[in-house]
Amino acid sequence: MKTIFKSAVAVFILVSTLLPVQFVPEADAILGFWRRNVRRAVIIGGAAAMTTAAVAQQQAATAQQQAATAQQQAAAQQQSAASEKPLPLGTVVTSLPGGCSSTPVGGVEYYYCGGNFYRAVFQGNKLVYVTAQPK
Amino acid sequence: MSPLNFRRAALLFLAAVVALSITVSPKVRAQAPAVDPAATQILQRMTGYLGGVQQFSAHTQNTYEDLLASGHKVDFDVLADVTVSRPDKLFAERSGDLVEQTFYYDGKTLTLYDPSQKVYATEHAPGTIEGMLDFARESLGLVIPVADLIYRNNYQLLMQDVNLAVVVGKAMIGGVKCDHLLFSRPGVDFQVWVAESGNPLPYKYVVTDTSAPALLSVSTVISDWNVAPAVADDRFTFVPPEGVKQITFMPVKAGGGTSR
Repeated sequence: MKTIFKSAVAVFILVSTLLPVQFVPEADAILGFWRRNVRRAVIIGGAAAMTTAAVAQQQAATAQQQAATAQQQAAAQQQSAASEKPLPLGTVVTSLPGGCSSTPVGGVEYYYCGGNFYRAVFQGNKLVYVTAQPK
Repeated sequence: MSPLNFRRAALLFLAAVVALSITVSPKVRAQAPAVDPAATQILQRMTGYLGGVQQFSAHTQNTYEDLLASGHKVDFDVLADVTVSRPDKLFAERSGDLVEQTFYYDGKTLTLYDPSQKVYATEHAPGTIEGMLDFARESLGLVIPVADLIYRNNYQLLMQDVNLAVVVGKAMIGGVKCDHLLFSRPGVDFQVWVAESGNPLPYKYVVTDTSAPALLSVSTVISDWNVAPAVADDRFTFVPPEGVKQITFMPVKAGGGTSR
């Protein structure tokens, strides 16, 4: 019984030490196939991909847009904190500064605060505020 | 070594071989043709079926991955209920941490309504769902839930430049047994889970942007399919409630954020 156990342990140790060595190259081979394949797919290129590609690209664009908007907003906040200087027309902010008063001009609602007039617009699916001249 | 010991050792060795062969089999499967007809046939069956359904409604759970400036990946979840009436009507209601919006399209105009901020914007739109979806995406930057799957006869569109199509396996999505498909084209990987039996409807859809190292995905889990919903036509036309203000869309390619 003891020898059975001993030999079983020996085989187990042998197998378990061998396995990682075996597994790793296999895993690499599998991953390697996928990597190569993806790279090849990218290299092949071709006509502009529709729909799904557009969605993915748009998502990236939206993320960039959001980042840009956030930066603009930060810049706008710094600027308005430094002075009450009006922002350039068309500056986009994701939320209105505090203490705005709203006035309808020509059927459009304008929000006045910090020396700027803002109006609400949809930038894609996102509601943002843009500095504008009431008319 | 006694015969018994030998048998035990042989059994263990056999187990090791079996374990190895299991790990090897994906490699063998991966060497199958890059575009597997079994995968494209299922996709074609799904798109053909959905393109032929005159009216349908479904509930979608969209997860948009985004990358923070710090380099961490975060998910934004948006729920949407979509109702489509071909060829020219669509209604979508979204709620979640990103947006709370209702979208109307009645064949003439499209409207985006934000009930929490009490604002809406309306634009003239092309006369078909397909034309409207293109217009909304390209001119207004609007993303409509599962737009890719709403396109009629979108098989060619989805298969364009595809150089890898495989049946990954089976999976249960929302209690429905599905075939799990993977497709790849330059810059984009997409996965679709299609009901294995009954109507070949999609229950999950994942699009991954492979053009950037972040590999961001948009995932959509679709449930509550109804291919014969009772919908009145006025569902697709927006009537502004009292106190709601009209605003505009910012055109997509306007640099500097000017509005019209």
